[in-house]
Amino acid sequence: MAPVRLPEELRPVMDNGTSALMVTCSASGAPNATVISKVYYVDETHVALSFQFFNKTIKNVRENPRAWVGLTDFMSQSDWALDLEFEHSETEGPIFDAMDMQIEAIASATGMSGIFKLRAADIYRVLSVERLPYQP
Amino acid sequence: MIPAKIIRFLAERANVGFAGTRDSGLVPLGHRVSGWQVDAAGRTISAFIRPFWEARLVESLRDNGSIALTIGDVTTHETYQIKGRYLSHRPIQRMEVEIADRVRERLAKALLAQYQDERVVPFVKASIPIPTLIVAVEVNEVFVQTPGPGAGERIAPPPDAR
Repeated sequence: MAPVRLPEELRPVMDNGTSALMVTCSASGAPNATVISKVYYVDETHVALSFQFFNKTIKNVRENPRAWVGLTDFMSQSDWALDLEFEHSETEGPIFDAMDMQIEAIASATGMSGIFKLRAADIYRVLSVERLPYQP
Repeated sequence: MIPAKIIRFLAERANVGFAGTRDSGLVPLGHRVSGWQVDAAGRTISAFIRPFWEARLVESLRDNGSIALTIGDVTTHETYQIKGRYLSHRPIQRMEVEIADRVRERLAKALLAQYQDERVVPFVKASIPIPTLIVAVEVNEVFVQTPGPGAGERIAPPPDAR
């Protein structure tokens, strides 16, 4: 099956400063819904999500690698839905460093300095991407 | 089950919400939640949803009944996650649409205060879909989701409860 590629028009949505939504599911079947600061573009077929706290999301994706992420696109009046699969975690390197810098900027802008701290960059493969207009 | 101070937060200050479900293969799915209403005892919460995938949502809820609702205030980041079991669903009624309208107004007002830019208002209002479905949920657990070291702490039932 051909890899799913992120559309170019999604890149600015990832950078629009709006929080994203994330749903994961434990191995025992309990969904977990959380807000994440940012979705990072890695390449055409991968995104990275920040691992900042030891929490249920991190536990879930290590038990069950599937994840759903929703992004708000105010300009085109749409949501974007991404089905993802966790691949691996990085604690150093260019992706980690870039995310660390951006998280610090977000923390500073939202009054959360000292609370947001990047522990790892979790890399996910994109399984599907769908644009969902507010007015179908 | 939902503590009284959180019921007040949900009724008066919370301005954004979404839901997470999963299918029989443990594949998670998210849904925007445009409004909510908690019964006086805090034992059930009704989520006002306009699902992008109504058939998938209903099928998942009937299959396993698991649902997580995350509701918060975008400006203070105060957020709670409510985990529970699906009870029922039905089409939304007129009065309930007005509850969703109030949430939309609260969000627009909060973001206008934050950004001091009138141009955000129409975009924000348009981003909260008019709900079509009411999903009633029996509340099992409530967690703090406000960013920080306390995120993930269960507050109801209390952590020492079985």
